Amino acid sequence: MGKFIVRRLVLLLLTMLLVSMAVFLITEASPGNVARNVLGAFVTPEQEASFLAQLGLDKPVWQRYVHWLFGSDWKAARKIGLRLKRLVTEKGFVEWWAIDESGRPVRWKLQGDDLVAELRQPDGKTVRKIDNRRWESDPQGGWSFWGVDNANHAVRWQKGTDRKVWTFIMGSGWKQSSGGPEEYLPLKKGFIRGDPGESLRTGRPVGDSLYVRLRNSLVLAGIAFVIVMPLALFLGLLAGLKEGSIRDRVLSVGGMMFSVIPEFATGIFLILIVAVWWQLVPGATVFGEKAPWERPDMLILPVLTLTLIELGYVLRITRASMVEVMRSPYIRTAYLKGLPYWRIITKHAVRNALMAPITVIMLHVNWLMGGIVIVEVVFGYPGLGKYLLDSALYKDINALEAGAMILVIVAVGTQLVADIIYTIINPRIRYT
Amino acid sequence: MNETNETIDSATGTHSAAVDTHANDVIQPEHDVTRPGHWHRLRAGLSILFASRAAVVGLIIVLFWVSAAVLAPLLTPYTPLEQDWKAPNQGPSMAHPLGTDELGRDLWSRLIYGARVVLVILPISESVWLPGGTALWGVFVALVVGTTLGLVSGYFGGWLDEVVMRLLDAMMAVPIILLFLIIMAALGASAVNVVIAITIVGTPGIARLVRSLTLDIRTREYVRAAETRGENPFYIMFAEILPNARGPIIVDAMLRVGYAIFAMGTLGFLGLGLPPPSPDWGSMVAKGREFILEGSPWAALWPSVAIASLVVGLNLLADGLREESMRYQ
Repeated sequence: MGKFIVRRLVLLLLTMLLVSMAVFLITEASPGNVARNVLGAFVTPEQEASFLAQLGLDKPVWQRYVHWLFGSDWKAARKIGLRLKRLVTEKGFVEWWAIDESGRPVRWKLQGDDLVAELRQPDGKTVRKIDNRRWESDPQGGWSFWGVDNANHAVRWQKGTDRKVWTFIMGSGWKQSSGGPEEYLPLKKGFIRGDPGESLRTGRPVGDSLYVRLRNSLVLAGIAFVIVMPLALFLGLLAGLKEGSIRDRVLSVGGMMFSVIPEFATGIFLILIVAVWWQLVPGATVFGEKAPWERPDMLILPVLTLTLIELGYVLRITRASMVEVMRSPYIRTAYLKGLPYWRIITKHAVRNALMAPITVIMLHVNWLMGGIVIVEVVFGYPGLGKYLLDSALYKDINALEAGAMILVIVAVGTQLVADIIYTIINPRIRYT
Repeated sequence: MNETNETIDSATGTHSAAVDTHANDVIQPEHDVTRPGHWHRLRAGLSILFASRAAVVGLIIVLFWVSAAVLAPLLTPYTPLEQDWKAPNQGPSMAHPLGTDELGRDLWSRLIYGARVVLVILPISESVWLPGGTALWGVFVALVVGTTLGLVSGYFGGWLDEVVMRLLDAMMAVPIILLFLIIMAALGASAVNVVIAITIVGTPGIARLVRSLTLDIRTREYVRAAETRGENPFYIMFAEILPNARGPIIVDAMLRVGYAIFAMGTLGFLGLGLPPPSPDWGSMVAKGREFILEGSPWAALWPSVAIASLVVGLNLLADGLREESMRYQ
């Protein structure tokens, strides 16, 4: 069993690696880029080039993949020749600083031909001083310097070039400044060291927004799961009790209908009936800064939509399993022994009939995730699915990769859990 | 806009024949004119169909949508792109039986032209289209690819089987919605890309099914006989094994058509389906959703009803057929 779990975990890592590569390559191969998506169609070529360079998107794809996976600070530290450190300020911003020879955090700026060092004091303030001794002669005969700038890049400045830089600040627009570097290397720790990077779309750390989104999605899925499972298993057993009866027909046709109608159609029907016609609950979810559970009335329709879709599926699986059990010889034997009807059902049938659904349900999580994405879009629910959709449309690669990795972990992880549960409830199966 | 209208109009004359053949395929897969007993088989097949009330109801719904899609240009005086700026977001009326959307386009016309894209034509570019709907093409291509992979890996076995199956396992482990999002975000919105997305998502399941069937059939005497005759492995796979595996494959394919329509609607709803202004059910709902709370639910309601009824119809038909044919066995 232990060997089996280890093998599956290795497979999980392998799947994650393959998926993350595929996401990078597919996103790369497709037309358009994040600059056009974020900045709009009226951006000038200079602004676009500057924006892409600052995000490190002018680098070849394999290099960006390595940086995304393993981080870029080790590479930058080698170029700069100093140790690099990631600080989180009191306001929660992430800042990268080089640690100079005397152990103080330092960053640089180019003013005219002068290199200006900003030394960070223990109280968070900075002290400036001219730091021209760091210029190094390069093979072309000029003077250049690798350092850290104040926007978390390792950069290469060239003396005397005085490049123009276009910086896009969210909410306030373009700012042009001089003293720009030749080359950017955005600093990050890399995914396997726990840093999914910054969203290219919003400039905020992916981890922060992803946490809230994931929490919201889990609330939605969790509530739906808790409602669906007992209900669907019960109704499925009820339907499978007597195959072909009216009760069976109604339940299985009803279950089929709910499980095959696309989530967005079910969602629209529910909005129209419950929110518009009966005016019972709001038809959209607007939480603002609040957490979903603070507005339970807005959760009702999304949960209901998810519930209906899942209900039909689990009900059908349970029914099929129950029907099969009821046809089996040991149930007939139990009848012939003269056992009371309810005893046969509860003791002999139900336990065996529940075996299949429990594992199938776990495998179905893969589909459930699709359902959640749609439900979130239908109701404007701020969850992981909507985040993922927006990231994919914007080609926001850091956000997309992080979201994709979470989905793969959930999908493969639940399959592993399903296999383990299966060995527990069905002792005939042994994995080696 | 004029050009597009003309293409659609000129397209109508020829493809009803293609649709008829398709309908026959669904009802009577074993239909084969060269064999003597085909009348008997056809009648047996039809009696299976009519023995199940659910299958009949499903068939009626499906036939309704197929005929509405085929006859679309005859059933409405409007084209799906014609805008009436004086009458946006209206409810049903004499002029517009189902109302109009936010640009004053006739909803009935958009609905049946939307059915056309799903069931009858695959638009490749502005003026080029193939017979057979986008959803049907998706299932068809997935069937071809999946069946070939399944046959090859099941028949040859060994390292080939191992490699193909591990790759398909990895594909199945990836959440479907993620595959859709990435594929469509990368390829962009078009009918051909929807076919590609449906193919990629459908292939692993079909390949596994065909592989398991092949593993079983491979051990039969007639396959042994063919091998002894020294037949080409591909002849054995496609002429000996595949015809004997067709039953489960056909039932699976029918369920997949329902799912392909589901997927197409979902992609359209997420803005990843056919590019606007094509009449696409999913994107019609996505657009109409914005106007529900402003008091005009019609643009979101009708395409939802359409896609719901079509997938329910297809599933009723497939379920009914499967149940009855199992009873006959």
